[in-house]
Amino acid sequence: MELATQIAISGILMGVIFALIALGLTLIFGVMNIVNFAHGEFLMIGMYSAFLTSTFLSIEPLLSLPIVAVVGFLLGIMSYYLLIRYLLRGPMLAQLFGTFGLMLFLRYLVMFIMGPSPVAIQEGILIGKTVSLSWFTFDMSKLIAAGFSILLFVLIYWMIERTKLGRALRATSIEADAARYMGIDTEKMNALAWGIGGATVAIAGGLLANFYYLTPTVGMLFVMIAFATVALGGFGSVRGAFLAGIIIGVIEMVAGQYLSQIKLSFVYLTYFLVVVFRPRGLFGW
Amino acid sequence: MKKKALCLGLAICFVALWGVTVNPVMAEAKEIKIGVIIPMSGALAATGKHLRDGYELAVDVINNKHPGLGIPIGEWEGIPSLGGAKIKLIFKDHRSDPGLGADLAKRLIEDEKVIGLMGCYNSSVTKTVSAVAERYGIPHLNGNSSSPLLTKRGFEWYWRTFPHDTFFVDDLFKLLDGMVKGKAPGVKPVPREEINTLAVAVEDTEWGSAVGKLIEEFASERGYKTAESFLYAHGAPDLTSETRRLVASKAGCYLFAPYISDAILFIKTLKSMRAAPRLVWGQDAGFIVPDFIKTLGGDINGILTRTTFCPTLATVKPLIGKINKMYRAKTGVDFTGNEAKSFTSVHTWAYVLNKAGSTKPEALRKEFNALDIPGDELIMPWKGIKFGSPYPGETHQNELGSGVIAQYQGYPGGRLEVIYPFELATAKMIYPFPGWK
Repeated sequence: MELATQIAISGILMGVIFALIALGLTLIFGVMNIVNFAHGEFLMIGMYSAFLTSTFLSIEPLLSLPIVAVVGFLLGIMSYYLLIRYLLRGPMLAQLFGTFGLMLFLRYLVMFIMGPSPVAIQEGILIGKTVSLSWFTFDMSKLIAAGFSILLFVLIYWMIERTKLGRALRATSIEADAARYMGIDTEKMNALAWGIGGATVAIAGGLLANFYYLTPTVGMLFVMIAFATVALGGFGSVRGAFLAGIIIGVIEMVAGQYLSQIKLSFVYLTYFLVVVFRPRGLFGW
Repeated sequence: MKKKALCLGLAICFVALWGVTVNPVMAEAKEIKIGVIIPMSGALAATGKHLRDGYELAVDVINNKHPGLGIPIGEWEGIPSLGGAKIKLIFKDHRSDPGLGADLAKRLIEDEKVIGLMGCYNSSVTKTVSAVAERYGIPHLNGNSSSPLLTKRGFEWYWRTFPHDTFFVDDLFKLLDGMVKGKAPGVKPVPREEINTLAVAVEDTEWGSAVGKLIEEFASERGYKTAESFLYAHGAPDLTSETRRLVASKAGCYLFAPYISDAILFIKTLKSMRAAPRLVWGQDAGFIVPDFIKTLGGDINGILTRTTFCPTLATVKPLIGKINKMYRAKTGVDFTGNEAKSFTSVHTWAYVLNKAGSTKPEALRKEFNALDIPGDELIMPWKGIKFGSPYPGETHQNELGSGVIAQYQGYPGGRLEVIYPFELATAKMIYPFPGWK
């Protein structure tokens, strides 16, 4: 029973973080029907932003989250205005290869600047802190990261469902032409989706940097999980991404306990089964 | 007189003409191209950089004069028997992909006309690359892959300077046995039950699974209990479950075989779980690269790592200190096992080329088979390099190589101290493992 509870808690904590990583991806896809292969690199840049502000400006990693969010937002906006809006004029393949190129560009740009070696944040109020129950000890920074993730999900969900801006975003995603006729600046909505997507994944990176190492290639470890999360939850669904993240976190934790070598296969098997029996995912449009 | 002057003039013209026409061809022949296939991107990009730095330092030592080193290659300025021909390395990135490695080997042999190959670090890539070299009849000298199976294939064109995992796992159990007998420096005899139970986590690669199997075999042979042993998916984003399995096993010794990213993740997760083993040992790879030290800082104190090289060995072998000083001046960090392995590979190639006096494959093969480099000329703490069959069924394996088990002490700003072989120990062993604060 103790083991089951430990697995469940660890799985939910990690799952909520997976969900936050996937949130930006699902938003961008929902609004524009475009898969951002550079999403893992946005995460990596969020991690490095937290690392750099903490190491060189001595800002507490948690307090650096607003800076990290701004970096992610600007990165998303710039990616849209400098690359994506041109790609949208081309065929689907051009969009795929375009974001793939962006992924390589960002990865190797960071490698050029920061070098290939792993680094980690050494100082911070959460670094190395644990929460000890009588039968279980776990990482304080994972707990806080999960808490922030839930908060951010609630905020984004509220924004999408309850605000005028959210309605404009949803209208753009459902029928861009009709939205434009109704006076919505769809170009701005697209840019906003990229900005919010960039900001949320960068915040996920900033939280992750409290308990994870950083390398220019760290994004690729998470991006496949993020794709599976988005597909499982339903492309474009915020609620779906949240639930799918938790499901994937728990599956990964259970499989890791008993069949570590093939644990990720179970994640993709679950995704495969959902796609077969419910192709639009759990909450897809 | 006129005839003599005419002859002299003609001779001068001939020499001058030869200088501008024939000489470039000779100059081209004075370059010896060797292909190096290693990982230089992806998760092993940092490791690849260290490997490359080691290769390049050795080329610098061989191609230019370094008389202060006190070894023959420091005096050479190129390969003496080949008219001072310089070694030129052509690096290729295999991205840890065995298929790509084989493809690169073909391209290096066919397009670049290399006379031989080095690399490839990942045993799985070494396997495919050496198969290509075997097919083409081109020497492949491997100085950094440790899967024992590589020298059990009866290949004629593959040689390995590096001691393989059977040597190293044997060393680990000799260390454990020695600790029980009170041979570990500064440690009283350790009650057997404290370190009798093992928990083993190895990555799911050819190298990792070979290490895991060897540990289980040695443990059962020497009477140790393996409480937990598993392969894990390398490069996974999270290792919480795997770490929990180790902690739940209540084993005294945690034994690992991961590359750098997983090594960091394991230690970070163990720390977050407040794990308290008596001993933590890593099988080189991720546990030895400078990034392991830089990233984890003080969290590595007390961790043991298998290595083949340690800068502190300079106290017993001055040559190591001299090379490390050169390397430090160039890169700002200490030489580690990865650089030392690369250095020794180029060093071995230089000896073979000099002995052969030729770059023809058959001449090189003959010299590889007859090679005998004395230990005092090497930067490795080995008795030398001589290819033979140290374990049954092997060919072309260096018989005179050996491993070292070292311990991180006093970090940040500390040193990697040699603990085993006990006679080479440079400090007292920290036991039990101090845990994480």
